[in-house]
Amino acid sequence: MSKIIAIARKDIKIRFSGKTELLFFLFLPLIFTLLLSGVLFGGGVNKIVMVVVDEDNSDLSGKLVSLLQSSEAVAPSNLAREKAQETFDNREAAAILIIPSGMESNLKAGQGVSLDFTLDPSNNNGLAVQQEVQKAIGQISRSLAVANASTREAEQIQPFTDATQRQAYYDQSLATGQQMFETAPVRIVITQPEIATETQNQKETQAAQASAGQLIIWVFIPLLGTSELMAYERVWGTLRRLVTTPTRKPTFLLGTITGQLSNGLVQMLMLVAIGVVLLKVPWGQNPLALLLLLISFGLASVAMGTMLGTFTRTPSQANGLSISLGMVMGLMGGCMLPLEMFPPAVANVAKILPTTWAMMGMTQLTVYNAGLLQILPYAAVLLGFSVVFFIVGILRFRYE
Amino acid sequence: MKKILQIGWKDLRVIFRDRAALILMLLAPFAMTVGMGLVTGTLSSSGGGLSQVPVVVVNLDQSTLGNALVEVLKSPELSNLLAVEENNDVTAARALLDADQTAAVVIIPVGFTASVIPQDGQATTADAQIEVYKNPSRQISSGVVQSIVESFLNEVETGRIGGQVAVAQLIASGMVPQQKAVQVGMQIGTRLANERGNLQTLILNTRQASVSEEPSFLMYIAPGFALLFLMYTVSLGGKTLLTERQEGTLTRLMTTPTGPSQVLVGKMAGTYMLGLAQMTILITASALLLGLRWGDPLAMVILLLTTVAAATGWGMLLAAFSRTPGQVSSIGMAMTLLFGLVGGSFFGGTSTGVIGYIGMLTPNYWGQKGFNTLTNGGNTQDLLPVYAATLVMAAILLVISVFIFRRKGLLQK
Amino acid sequence: MSPILEVQNLVKKFGDITAVDGVSFDIQEGEVFSLLGPNGAGKTTTISMLSCLLEPTSGDAVIAGHSVTRDALEVKGVIGVVPQEIALYEELSARENLTFWGQMYGLGGSALKTRVNEVLEQIGLADRAKDKIKTYSGGMKRRVNIGVGLLHKPRLLFMDEPTVGIDPQSRRSILDSVKDLNKAGMTVLYTTHYMEEAEELSHRVGIVDQGKMIAIGTQKELTQMVGENETLRLHTGENVDVQPLMDALKELPNVMHVSASDNMVVLIVPEANDALPPVLGMADRLGYKIRSVDIQEPNLEAVFLKLTGKALRD
Repeated sequence: MSKIIAIARKDIKIRFSGKTELLFFLFLPLIFTLLLSGVLFGGGVNKIVMVVVDEDNSDLSGKLVSLLQSSEAVAPSNLAREKAQETFDNREAAAILIIPSGMESNLKAGQGVSLDFTLDPSNNNGLAVQQEVQKAIGQISRSLAVANASTREAEQIQPFTDATQRQAYYDQSLATGQQMFETAPVRIVITQPEIATETQNQKETQAAQASAGQLIIWVFIPLLGTSELMAYERVWGTLRRLVTTPTRKPTFLLGTITGQLSNGLVQMLMLVAIGVVLLKVPWGQNPLALLLLLISFGLASVAMGTMLGTFTRTPSQANGLSISLGMVMGLMGGCMLPLEMFPPAVANVAKILPTTWAMMGMTQLTVYNAGLLQILPYAAVLLGFSVVFFIVGILRFRYE
Repeated sequence: MKKILQIGWKDLRVIFRDRAALILMLLAPFAMTVGMGLVTGTLSSSGGGLSQVPVVVVNLDQSTLGNALVEVLKSPELSNLLAVEENNDVTAARALLDADQTAAVVIIPVGFTASVIPQDGQATTADAQIEVYKNPSRQISSGVVQSIVESFLNEVETGRIGGQVAVAQLIASGMVPQQKAVQVGMQIGTRLANERGNLQTLILNTRQASVSEEPSFLMYIAPGFALLFLMYTVSLGGKTLLTERQEGTLTRLMTTPTGPSQVLVGKMAGTYMLGLAQMTILITASALLLGLRWGDPLAMVILLLTTVAAATGWGMLLAAFSRTPGQVSSIGMAMTLLFGLVGGSFFGGTSTGVIGYIGMLTPNYWGQKGFNTLTNGGNTQDLLPVYAATLVMAAILLVISVFIFRRKGLLQK
Repeated sequence: MSPILEVQNLVKKFGDITAVDGVSFDIQEGEVFSLLGPNGAGKTTTISMLSCLLEPTSGDAVIAGHSVTRDALEVKGVIGVVPQEIALYEELSARENLTFWGQMYGLGGSALKTRVNEVLEQIGLADRAKDKIKTYSGGMKRRVNIGVGLLHKPRLLFMDEPTVGIDPQSRRSILDSVKDLNKAGMTVLYTTHYMEEAEELSHRVGIVDQGKMIAIGTQKELTQMVGENETLRLHTGENVDVQPLMDALKELPNVMHVSASDNMVVLIVPEANDALPPVLGMADRLGYKIRSVDIQEPNLEAVFLKLTGKALRD
């Protein structure tokens, strides 16, 4: 046991001997989490971006834009026509909505108005944006529609004598309609699972996803770097020397794993704390479940790093592969883009990755307030990954 | 000049023989591009973005409005967006959502229609609410379902209130006697119900952008990841200076009839050639293996030349400020990731807002902008601002680097 | 007294290549035994097997009563290894390195602390104990490298070419350390391809070449085994006709061979000390001024050359 601890301590000391290590351990994960969650400078990447060209600049058009801004699914950018078109052409927006000049006045005069809405056909997000826009225009124009319908019905029974009479009838209908809409019963109720946490709105969910996603990536990559540590020990000759001491191979491996896992756990807990304090992510509702998930994810990552170490020869090879694999597996695991945005086939295939299961488990924790029992399946899969990777790593392990 | 090129060429060969370096220079960006293509669906024919959002609808109403809502959800227009499943059992439907099998459950209660439309001359029944039970871990998808239901309800209310207002106004104006209110109301109500979707005076005129050859999302992602790892590559190039100093080959070089300026410029040339080689290989590989086409070749070549120059500036600046090769490696990697984040390399688009302004300091931002413009059919003229920005960046950074190198006496004999 | 190390027909094959081909020897407690041979002779492979780094293809070795093939852990507890390359953690200090390796040898607590301090004193680095290894000179690193091998007070110390590629001063320091360790009772198995080191340090030498042990013994036994005489070189100066001197010297008893080269007369004699007075006397009688005399005793290089037909450093 003392040898295991000695090896773990040695590895931790070596890792933190460089001044730049804190950069990767804490500062970069912090910056990435804050930026991607939208806490810093707003924005964030999960809402679908669309551009709006408001050439009417009226109360009504302002209300329309405001409704779109409060949407959970879209992030509208109000731009001038040329810039908006350029943005859309550059594929920086899924759709472009043009509000023509005179919209409010024409509508109030009882005329129909058409809003040009252009979709990117290769991007299904355009359809989602269309629904949001449809809802918003329905909301702002419904009173006008009622007044219009009322006036039309009246005209069918008895035509108006003049425009003034017509307008007066229209205005009265509009006022009545607005009043009735204000007192109309609410016909929809939005609910969530009882066990869901307080992350009910888009911003909070995005923060939770950013916190979890970045935690996984920034911990996964250095734990894959267990391979680099092993390569360094081979290059330095210290691994060879270790064999000449009365230290068994399992002791060495356990010591290395303990050191790496400890590092990883400390880092994860720090990032969890940052998520709780700065992003208000409800990480802490079930500490035992959280701990179980973090430990099982840490083990899976170290195990994969150990296995990777048996395939790489030099420290720089191991370093390059750790970063590459870590980033790709992070991406495919839903750590950068939410899993719900993946094509169904890809989302299924992604389940062969430990990062996917870690992300799903963390989503359960932060969104569903999952307890120990609910987290067990995810932890079990991650532990399963650990077992497989460790077996391969241990069987292939060579001191030289 | 010859020595400069010889020094640069030597550095290029040394790095290209390092398999580890090649992993991050070539394999990683390509793998990330393919990965991003997979997760966004742009490598498949189904296209990218939200699709086939699973929704379960429980229609307990089984009457006019309930059926109408189900029809809307299952309409051909929404068939790409939604994958709708009907279920009679509310508990089972909720359980599916609790198990994260669906994005939302839409529960249309018994008597919903009756609560909106008077049946057989009777008053409407007590208000019944449609419940949208949302999956909290699928905010976007469930949000879209909510919007669709709200849109539908909006139309329903507009029709209902429209009818009521119409009748009230007719009675108030004396056009219709009170006794005929019910009869007229039913006629108007029926008419408006049939015109439900046409009541709106504000119409959304939807069309799809038509471009003869629609660029795939990959054409924005591929250069993004290439630019991301370009920063790693130029830091490698800058690192060679410090490595050579550490290993003694720099001192040896200085004992030959080679001036310090030649050495420095040679190092810069090596870094530049390395970056250029990497970008060329990646762009070519994307073209050959992923079928991506980059538009105006001349414009692209100039874009590569100027963007790599800007990146080289950063690489040399990093080397100038660092003391050891290890520092260059660590800070270089940190720079790679940060530049990629603020420059928009991760998602194939330039950042906006405050992040966008910060991103303008990076070659990633300008390179991405240039490639996006090219992809959309731009030419050299359209890219002039990008060329200018990157060349200015390169010039400023290289000058500062040289100044710092000289001050530190890095190349003193 | 039974030897502390008995090597019994050790063989190591790597595919078709036989790196060690039936090597046998033993080492008595308290002696310094050198394995002398050129690069690629099988010295490092032999030590690797004895250190339990490599499994022998066949054969065995017994160290302090433990077999290397069956009791590897026990063997590792009684041996200390000083590898040819510096095997230390550069980012840790000397003290941290010694502490860690001491722990790997099963030491702990105050005993470990005390022992680390002792070793630091022994290697002369107590005042730099807190500095990272990467700040040390090559010689200092070598000293720590040796220090690690001594921590657990091994009964047998393996030193695998510890002076390769280092400056003369550091080399001198290492050789002196070995002698000091031996004086204090340490048994040392020392591998080298430098004849001078083997000659200076060893009680006995085993000469290896191409995986085989071709000779074992004290230096005297080895040189006598192949019957090498001593060489006398008389420096006569330039442009001197040495033929008459050569003719006269040939007639002297115990002069086995006379030749001339580069302003020298070279004689092969059984014992230089015995032959020198009559030789110088003859030169004096014939009027030759002898500027200087060199006596070259039979050495291991010569033995190796005789036995293998090639030089130790070919």
